[in-house]
Amino acid sequence: MSLNSHSFNKGTFDVLVTSNKKIGERFYRISLVFEGKGGTAFAKTSAGQFAELDLSTTALPPLDTISENLRDTAERKILLRRPFSFCDVTTKSGKTLVEILYCVVGPASLRMTTLSKGDSISVTGPLGNGFSVPKNKKIALLATGGMGAGPLIHLAKTLKQNYPDIKVTAFVGAKTAKELPFEKIRKSEPTDFARYNVKSIISTDDGSMGVRGLVTYCLTEWLDENKSAAKDIIIYSCGPEMMLARMAEIAQKYNVDCQISMERMMACGIGVCQSCAVECKVSGSRETVYKLCCKDGPVFDSREVVFEL
Amino acid sequence: MKEKINISVDFARVRLANPVFTASGTSGYADELAEFIDINALGGFITKSITLKPRKGNPVPRAVETDSGILNAIGLANIGLENFIKEKLPVIGQMKTKVFVNVAGETIDEYVTVIQRLSGEKAIIGFELNISCPNVKKGGITFGTDPVQVAEITSAAKKVSGDKILMVKLTPCVTDISVIARAAVDSGADALSLVNTFTAMVIDIESCRPVLANKTGGLSGPAIKPIAVYLVNKVYNEVTKNTKIPILGVGGIRNASDAVEFIIAGASTVGIGTANFIEPNCAMKIIEGIKKYCVRKNIKDIKELVGTLKI
Repeated sequence: MSLNSHSFNKGTFDVLVTSNKKIGERFYRISLVFEGKGGTAFAKTSAGQFAELDLSTTALPPLDTISENLRDTAERKILLRRPFSFCDVTTKSGKTLVEILYCVVGPASLRMTTLSKGDSISVTGPLGNGFSVPKNKKIALLATGGMGAGPLIHLAKTLKQNYPDIKVTAFVGAKTAKELPFEKIRKSEPTDFARYNVKSIISTDDGSMGVRGLVTYCLTEWLDENKSAAKDIIIYSCGPEMMLARMAEIAQKYNVDCQISMERMMACGIGVCQSCAVECKVSGSRETVYKLCCKDGPVFDSREVVFEL
Repeated sequence: MKEKINISVDFARVRLANPVFTASGTSGYADELAEFIDINALGGFITKSITLKPRKGNPVPRAVETDSGILNAIGLANIGLENFIKEKLPVIGQMKTKVFVNVAGETIDEYVTVIQRLSGEKAIIGFELNISCPNVKKGGITFGTDPVQVAEITSAAKKVSGDKILMVKLTPCVTDISVIARAAVDSGADALSLVNTFTAMVIDIESCRPVLANKTGGLSGPAIKPIAVYLVNKVYNEVTKNTKIPILGVGGIRNASDAVEFIIAGASTVGIGTANFIEPNCAMKIIEGIKKYCVRKNIKDIKELVGTLKI
C-alpha cells in the first residue's frame, strides 16, 4: 500500500437530509443526498458497506416523547460517530441518494429522529467491504433478523439489477410483526423486498406475522426441500450474532456458501482504533486472529468467524 | 501583505514543520489514515505500539463510549516488530512527516530488543516509550507508576536508541506525575509525552458486569482534557521549564483552541488522539486553527506561546 492512496474514493462529507420518515414504532428511514466528491464516492457503494454519521450536535427530541427506558442514556453527551449500512443507494445526474433504515436504540439514534429535510449532517464513508457474488451461483437466500434487513434490501436490488440469472428469496425474521422494519409496500408483501420483486418468507417469534418461529427454521426447511442445489446456493445474512452463528452452522451442515454481516461497537470505523475486533479462524491452524469489523468486514465468510455468544 | 507566521518547532534535536502530532494508537501505522488525509502535512506521527512479538489484543468489547469520552482496552494489538519492519517501515519511509515508533513490552529486555533493532532505521526519527498502557497484565502502566522502574527502563532504552530521539509517555494514574517525569528526564529522556489514558470502568447495570471484556479500560477524549492540561502545566513548571526537554501534550484535544491551551500550559507540541476517530481530518484543521490564533494574537513564532500561562 502506498501513501498516495489518499484518492478521495472515501472521505468525510457534509450532506443534506431529504427526508426522515417514521415507518414503525421504533423504525425510521432517512434519505441523504451526496453531491460533488461525496456523490462520486458514494455512487460506488456496494451493499453491506457502511458510513459513520456524526450525530453529536443533533438535537434530542422533547424529553416527554422519549421512552422511559432511554431517558437516562438520552442525557449522555455523545462523542463518536455511529455506523449505519444502507438499504438503498441511487445515483442521478451526479448526485447520490443514500437511504438508511434505522431503529431507535440509544442516544445517537434518538437524536437522528429529529433530523428533517434540509438539515446538514457529516458523514464519513463509504467504509468496509460489502457482500460479494461468487461465480456460478444461481440462488441467493437473504436471511434477515430485525434491523439486519437494511443491507440485504440493498443487496436484493443489486442482485436483481446486475445478476438477472440468480433467483433471490428473502427470509425475514423479527420478534413480532411490529418489529419488522418495513414500510408496507402492499398488503400481500409487507416487506421492502417487494420493491425488487423478491419474495419474502416471514417469520416472527410470536407468530404475529408469517410463520411462528425463527428465521433459521424457515431457511432450514427451504434447504431441506432443495438439497440437490447446494453448490448453486449462497446465503447472505445480517442480524443478531446468535442468528448469524446459527446461519454459519446451517451453511456448514448443508455445505452452502454463506456471507454474514457482523456488528461490533465501533469507535473510528476506519481501521485505526482496533475496537471492533472479530475473532477469526486461521485455515490449517487452531489459532485465531482478530480481524476488524470495520476494515476487514463487516461482511465475513461464515466459515471464518468465531462467534461471541 | 500577510505576515509570515512560524509554527515550526524544535523538538529535542529535530525541527518539525508544525506542532501537531497524531497520538499513538489513534492513527494506526499511517497507511490507514493516509486514505483520508495528507499525512505529510502533520508535524509528527506516532505509530501504534509495537511489541517484539505480534499481539492479538484483548477480547471484545474493547471500547465503550462514555460522557464526552471513550473507554478502551485494545490490549496493544499489533503486528509485532518483524512484520512492522517488513510491511510498514517501507511505507513510513516515504513520509515527509517525522515518525516516532511507540514501543511497548512486558519486560525491559523486550523494549531494549525492539529499540535496538529499529535504532538504525532511517525511516524513523525516534521512539515513544509506552510505559503507561493501562490495558495489559504485564508491563505497561506497572513500569510507569514506579520512579525506580521508570529510571531503569529509560536508561536501558537510551543506551540502545543511538541517535534517535527518546520520548517517554507518562501515565496520569500516579500520585505525583512530576516524580515520574523527573525520573525519566534524569535517566536520559529527550522528550516527554503526557498523558496516557486514565484507568476507568463502565458497568452494565442490567448484567451488573463491566462493559469491557478487560473489565477496566483507559479513558480518553474531551472528558480528560482539563486534567491533562493541568498535568502538562505541572510537569512543565516542576520539571522541564529550565531544561531543553520538550513536552508533547495529549489528552482530549479536538480543536485548535484545545491545542493552544496545552501550548500555553507548557507543551511544545500537541498530540491528537480520540478526535481522529471522529474526524480523520481533525489534525489538519488544528494546524490551520493554530495559525489563525497566532495571527489574531500577533504571535510571530509559536515558540513564543509555550508555557506562557499567567498566574
